[in-house]
This record gives sequence, C-alpha cells and structure tokens, in this order.
Amino acid sequence: MRAYVVRRLGQSIFTLVVASVLVFLGVRAVPGNPATALTGNADLSPAAIAAINRQYGLNQPVPVQYADWLRQVLTGHLGASPVTGLSITAELANAFPITIELTILSMLIGILIGVPSGIFAAVRRGKVADYVGNAVALFGLSIPSFWFGIVLILIFAVKLHVLPASSYVSFLSSPGSNLSHMVMPAFVLGTGVAAVLMRQMRSGMLEALRTDYVRTARAKGLPEPSVVLKHALRNSLVTVATVIGLQIGVLLSGVAVTETVFGLSGIGSLTINAVFQRDYPTIQAVALITAAAVIAINFAMDFVYAFLSPRVQVEGAAQ
Amino acid sequence: MSLAIVPDPEAMLKAAERSGRDWWRRLFHRPPAVIGLAGVAVVTIAAIFAPLLSPYSPVASSFQHILAPSFSPGHLLGTDELGRDVLSRLIYGAQPTLEVGLLATGLALVVGVPIGLVSGYYRGAGDMIVMRVADVVLAFPFLLLAIGFAAIFGPSLRNVVVALGIGSLPGFVRIARAEAMALREQDYVQAAIVTGVRDRVILFRHLLPNMAGPILVQATLTIPGAILGSALLAYLGLGEQPPTASWGTMLTAAQDHLFNDPWLAILPGLAIFITTLCFNLLGDGLRDLFDPALS
Repeated sequence: MRAYVVRRLGQSIFTLVVASVLVFLGVRAVPGNPATALTGNADLSPAAIAAINRQYGLNQPVPVQYADWLRQVLTGHLGASPVTGLSITAELANAFPITIELTILSMLIGILIGVPSGIFAAVRRGKVADYVGNAVALFGLSIPSFWFGIVLILIFAVKLHVLPASSYVSFLSSPGSNLSHMVMPAFVLGTGVAAVLMRQMRSGMLEALRTDYVRTARAKGLPEPSVVLKHALRNSLVTVATVIGLQIGVLLSGVAVTETVFGLSGIGSLTINAVFQRDYPTIQAVALITAAAVIAINFAMDFVYAFLSPRVQVEGAAQ
Repeated sequence: MSLAIVPDPEAMLKAAERSGRDWWRRLFHRPPAVIGLAGVAVVTIAAIFAPLLSPYSPVASSFQHILAPSFSPGHLLGTDELGRDVLSRLIYGAQPTLEVGLLATGLALVVGVPIGLVSGYYRGAGDMIVMRVADVVLAFPFLLLAIGFAAIFGPSLRNVVVALGIGSLPGFVRIARAEAMALREQDYVQAAIVTGVRDRVILFRHLLPNMAGPILVQATLTIPGAILGSALLAYLGLGEQPPTASWGTMLTAAQDHLFNDPWLAILPGLAIFITTLCFNLLGDGLRDLFDPALS
C-alpha cells in the first residue's frame, strides 16, 4: 500500500511539473515579442519594452525565468496583472471561494441524484424505473449546460420571479441568499455529474449483482435491501471516486461557462476575462492552479480507490 | 489425423460476413438507436444541403424586419436582432457543428489509436511515457486547452478542432492500448508472433480490425462531447466568429434579448441539445451491440 501511494505521488508530481513547464512555455509561444505579448499592447516604445523586460525578468534565460516564476507561484507572490494592475494573488483569493462552493454543491447534487438512481435502475433492470433513469441520464449528458442555465433563468427568474438571475452573495454574510443564488448554477452542473454517475453506478451495480459474493450473501438468506446496500455499496463508492476523478476536468470546464451565464465572478469568469484581455500572467496562474487541482483530486481519488477496493491495490502494487 | 476437424475457411468467411451484416440489422431493431440515426441523418442533410434548404442567406440582414416573432409572414421562426432569418441560420448552423464534432473526433482517433495500439502491444518505457503524457493532457480541462489555443493563436474554428481533438486523445489512446494488451494474449496473435509474422502486419492486420468495435463506440460517444464543447466555445466567443451562423454564437447574441425574445435563445440551444442527444442515442445503441452485458 505504501509503495503504491509513493509511486502514485511520484507520478502526480512528475505530471504537475510537466504541466507547469507547458503552461510556462505556452505563453512564450505567443507570436511576437514577449513584452508585447505579456501586456497585449503591440505599440510599445523600446523604452517601455525594456522596462517591462526588467519588471518581468524577460531578458533572463528561459530556465531562469521558469525558476523565478515557479518561486513566485510557490510563495504566492504572483505580482500584478499587466492589464488590470490588480494583484493576481488577491484576484485568485477572491474568485476561489465562489468556484469551490459551486464545485462542491454541484458534486453534492450530482451524487444525491446520480447514486440512488443508478442503484435503483440496476436493481429494476428492464423495468419502467430503469428506462426512466436512463432517459434522464441521457438528457443530462446531452443538454448544453450554458443553455440549460439560460432556460432556468428564463423560467425561475424571468417568468416566476422565485430565484435571482445572477450575481453572488457570500455565504458568511447571508447563507440563505447565498444558496438561493447558487441553487440554479449548481443544479445545472449537478445534472451533468448525475448523468455520468447514474450510468456508471448502474453498470457497476449490474456487475456487482452478478458476483459470487452477492450470490453468497443471497444464499445466506440476507434480505435483498441488505444485499444491495451493504455488499454492493462499497463497490458503488469506488464508482463515485472514479467518476469524481474523471469528471473533475469536465466539471471545471462547465464551471467556467456556468459562472459566465450566472454572472458569478469565480475562477472561470476570471480566466475568460483574462483571455479576452490577453492577460497572460493571470492565464498562466489559473491554468497551473486548475491543472494542479485536477492532478491533486485524481491522486486523492486513486488513494480512496485503493483503500476501498483491495483488488486495485494489489494490481497497482504488482505493476 | 483427420482433416475433417479443420473448419472450412470459406464457411467461416461467410459466417463472419453474416455476423457483420447482422450487426447492422440488430441496430435497426433498437428504436432509440434508430431515432438517433435518423436525427444524425437529418442534421447531416441540413449541413450538406443548407444552401438549398434555407429560405434566406444566413447572413443577409433586413433592417425592416428586426426581431420579428415566430410565424411572421416570410419568416417561419422569426428574425434576430439584425433582421436575419432564424430558420436559415439554424440550418446553416448545422455545418460548423458537424464539422467540429467530426473533425475533432477524427483527429483524436487517427492520432490516438496508433499510439495506443503500439504502446499497448510493446509496453515498456515508451508505454510509460505515453501514459504519463496522457495524464498531463487530462490535467488540463478541455476548456482550458481551448482557451490556451485561442489565447495563443487567436480564436478560430481550426483551433477549436485542434483543442477538442487533443482533449479527446487520451480516451482513444487508452481504449486502443487496453484492447491491444488484451488481444496480444489471444492465441491467434501469439501464434502469429511465434511464426514470425512481422510486427507491422500483426498490429494492423490482426489487432486493429479486432478493436474496431470499441473504437467505433468511443468515436460515436466522443462526437456529442465535441459538439457540446464547440458550442460552448462559440458561446464564449472563442470559436467561430460572427457573422458566421453557428448555434453557439446565436445563443450568445440571443442572451441580450432574453426578456423580449426568449425563443431566439431557446431554438439554437434546442438544436444543440437534439443533435447531441441523437449522437448519444446512436452511440448507446452501438455500445449495447458490442457489450450487451450492460444494457
């Protein structure tokens, strides 16, 4: 087990380092002078270019620049955005809580809908409940999240006036208002997660229900709910962990758009604004943080996975 | 030694052909898959014959008819904020949608399958590198990849295709790799290896055709993801640029008129939704054929 964790940790760190090099070089790949690329201003005087080169260390060799940047990232001093003049670290600190809350709420909604409906569909395979569950999952997989958001705004904010259309209120200042602002975006994202979870849960359960240990449990005369919930639940948690690992990237993409639709100023909106303003240092910071988050969550999920399913642990150790 | 136990090769070939044809027939016995196939056909026809089917040019504005409601004379689905015919724009919008969905998936398939095939067959250090690279790609959500491409090379349809193609690569690499690893242990492949058949022949004649099923399923299920991704990027302004008619850009423009003309936003979203749904129905149907245990 320890060998497995150490090996996965090594892999994760390696992946993160490669990702950080890519993020760093990506901005260097922007055509033209790095100073004009950095500021997004093509008409800089030579003096201004020299000043920017000094300020951002652009006249240093590339490996030195990379090391400097890495030090800035690790110490949390990302400097000021060349476009807005605001501290990038402060901007990230403002945006992060919104995105994290939205991600956690949508994961929760996804799990609360996806897991029970997946179990139910598997147990009732071929019956009406199974078909309804599958149809709902297909709906969740196919609907464009941003459009779903717009439709929800149309129904609940424009027509019925029961929920606010956009903006954000901090949870600490007003929990009720915060949740009423978050419920629509979280539901939009949660449906997508629920759809994937439901399908994975269903096929995982169908497989589990055919295994010998389930047959043994039934042969022992255990009541069916106990067979399903006790013996197959551990299996289902493995599925949840896998799906969270696989879906986190998709979810973070969805978060960016949903934030735009609902006017939430989280990491996603920050990224998209940065792209349109050609604010490369901010793009770099956000790209690295997102990649780090995905890698960290996948590592954590692998760990959970190995913990929940002894088979994986053995396979992993044998590799 | 009796020759009678050796199966007649011609009969085997015929049986294989039969099961191949059977496969199509079985697909047609599944109503959801048939609906999906029909929907995909409709969108394809709309994309190919858009100039013949649309009543107007998708970019022709008529300032006398701005924001006309549905069922107005001459404009079945009304007009948008520049007086352009919504029906025509919806029909033309099928073009970039299919283009991105098919090209991005095709790119991922053409690049990803050989990589997965080779790394799964040979394993070793190369395989390890491939899997680590796949990890790195997966660490960047596709939106971030696309944003990076748009930020570096400027927003365009081609960059969207490349970004979505790269984002879909790991899926194909993993499937081809897993299949290659499993098929390698099969007796007929082991026999081919032992008898000294060249690697290239084993890879492309023995392994590749036998993984066609799972790859086809992966492709059919990647297309809807790519379509949703491209619509999303167009919506954010990172894909096709106005005035090109695309469902994503129509949605962006419509958001300013949500209160007075909600249909302007509802229709293009519905088009994306139905197209994605049909591809998913078709993909599910195909998957069930290859993996009946899960249906």
